[in-house]
Amino acid sequence: MNLKIEKRQVDGVSILSCQGRIMFGDEANALRDALKQALTETPRMVLNLSGVTYIDSGGLGTLVGVYSSARAAGAEIKLAGLGQRLHDVLQITKLATVFQVFDSEQQALAALKSNSLPAGVDFLKTS
Amino acid sequence: MTYPPITGPISSPGSGIFPTLVFVQGNDQRNINLDHTPFTVGRKVDKDLVIADPRVSRDHALITSEDGQFCVVDQGSKHGTFVNGERIQRKTLERNDRVEFGVRDVSYVIFHPHHASSNTAREFLSQISGIQISTDTTDLEKLTLFLEAARKLNTTGVLDEILVTLLDATLKLTRAERGYVFMRDEENNLRLAAGRNSKGEPLLDDTTISHSILDEGVKSNSEFVITDTSQSLDLAGRHSIVAYDLRTVICIPLRKPQVQTTRDTAMVSTESSAEVMGALYVDSRFASRDISSVSNDILRAIATEAASLIENARLVQAEEASRRYQQELSIAASIQQRLMAVTIPEVPFATLRGRNLSCKEIGGDFFDAVNTDEGLAVVLADVSGKGVSAALLASTLQGMIYSQLTAGMPLIDIVVAANRFFTHKHIGEKYATLIIARIRRDGELEYVNCGHVPPLLVCNKEVIRPPHGNLPVGLLGDATYESDHVSLHAGDRLILVTDGVTEAENARGDFFEDSRLEAVAAKSATLEDIFTAVANFCGGNPLNDDCTVVELVYTG
Repeated sequence: MNLKIEKRQVDGVSILSCQGRIMFGDEANALRDALKQALTETPRMVLNLSGVTYIDSGGLGTLVGVYSSARAAGAEIKLAGLGQRLHDVLQITKLATVFQVFDSEQQALAALKSNSLPAGVDFLKTS
Repeated sequence: MTYPPITGPISSPGSGIFPTLVFVQGNDQRNINLDHTPFTVGRKVDKDLVIADPRVSRDHALITSEDGQFCVVDQGSKHGTFVNGERIQRKTLERNDRVEFGVRDVSYVIFHPHHASSNTAREFLSQISGIQISTDTTDLEKLTLFLEAARKLNTTGVLDEILVTLLDATLKLTRAERGYVFMRDEENNLRLAAGRNSKGEPLLDDTTISHSILDEGVKSNSEFVITDTSQSLDLAGRHSIVAYDLRTVICIPLRKPQVQTTRDTAMVSTESSAEVMGALYVDSRFASRDISSVSNDILRAIATEAASLIENARLVQAEEASRRYQQELSIAASIQQRLMAVTIPEVPFATLRGRNLSCKEIGGDFFDAVNTDEGLAVVLADVSGKGVSAALLASTLQGMIYSQLTAGMPLIDIVVAANRFFTHKHIGEKYATLIIARIRRDGELEYVNCGHVPPLLVCNKEVIRPPHGNLPVGLLGDATYESDHVSLHAGDRLILVTDGVTEAENARGDFFEDSRLEAVAAKSATLEDIFTAVANFCGGNPLNDDCTVVELVYTG
């Protein structure tokens, strides 16, 4: 298992910080479980990926899967702190247009607080 | 006239100490363990071997055992029982005898006694069998002998062999007449796993085994139970004891060793509370020698060593099972390879080449090429994940895309259909990145990149990475797709790779990266050079993912 996930809560927002690699298999499963668990606690969350050095196709699929189902359930997930590699992957796959990506955790938190739009409206808006 | 050699299961029957019947019916063939007698054959559904053919009588024949020999006995069948073509009433079976019941040729049985294989356990067994234990051998010497046997056997394989060897060694040491090993099955019932007499002949379960003593032994907390029937009156009336004139029965419960670190601690840890895997049972009759005086040290040693032997043998078998699973995977991989074996169409205006290097696990890469009036189309795809599920999805996707390319469908329609299929069937986690490109005779290239590594366009040693792209197929049901157009000139090359290439990793954890790929693509005109560059970069570090490279050269 090459992924460490730490969870904390700030003002009703779950913040999950990932460290390591998100790979098809154990890591992707751990991430899915952690995200699902966090969503039962708070509907708003920030996924801090600044410690993630690599994500493979399976990991990306997990991320999109959880992101989509969270959206469908009216929850909100924002991504923060993408490294160069993750940024490139989201560019190649055009998923940067799907996820809401912020440079830092603080910016993602601020966006969640100020965001009064109903979920789904800004779904396809680039950040 | 010569006969072809007998191959397959006939020369290598199912493992086990029991004789095997290889039942052949038309093109089907299965092995049946002859684990009890009488073994019944006929058309009735309650027979051990049911042959549903009107020429087979309802109660057709029996296979019985006598003195270690197996015998087929006709039960007055209408169409007869045949051994090697000869009609018989009763006949002792020999190795590879062909037995037919009423039906000739269509279905038959090949008899296969347990063969004396010459594996290490057996060889060792014959060695220790050769050692005569003289009466003045001390208990300690006997114990040493057994421990020696146990240690050597610990290194060898198959459980059945171990059990037989264990029995022979135990019979030698206790001087009992016959011995059996019973193991618990999934339903927790004790089932016979091996039986031997002191002459080294295989024995089957029979009514003369005292199951009551066996059950008591397993339930007891003792390391072993010695029952001398002459001493305990309440036993004297029990059926098996009367029937077989049993004098002494020794039952040793086989408990799972809890600690496996060293031999000494394993001995200590064989506590009564440990899980009982089975039991070792030996007995002898009144008429024969008395075994009740067997040293307790020997029995204790057998109890410990036998359990750890069996446990080790089981571990070896589990390893074997996982090796078989790996083998199945590799079979699946070879099926996939065959599916992916692409016949590349020859066209006058372009050449196409593709190469795939599979990693150990089965991946979801595939490529395909189709030539139609619309032009020469090529597709390269990578289904997310690994293993059989990825491979299956890859072949489904391949079939889908192939049929639509053959029908000359627009590229956008093809990826939209694929996306719909994937999101409909596999919401969320299964998706594919792919590129479909189609080149016309005049050099006009249309391609759709769905989340795939951008293609390399090599024009005059200059490498261009077009930024065009779409979402992968299968991630979002309502995704829209666009294609891109490029005009190629004679000599221009389009190189498609999967991310297994750009993400090939060396021992330091660096990736091959786009930069290295672009450098080698600019320099070289062959696919082999790309693979060589990747291999040199990885320096022996195994691939994590399949590497596929496809090259399309427009020749004009």
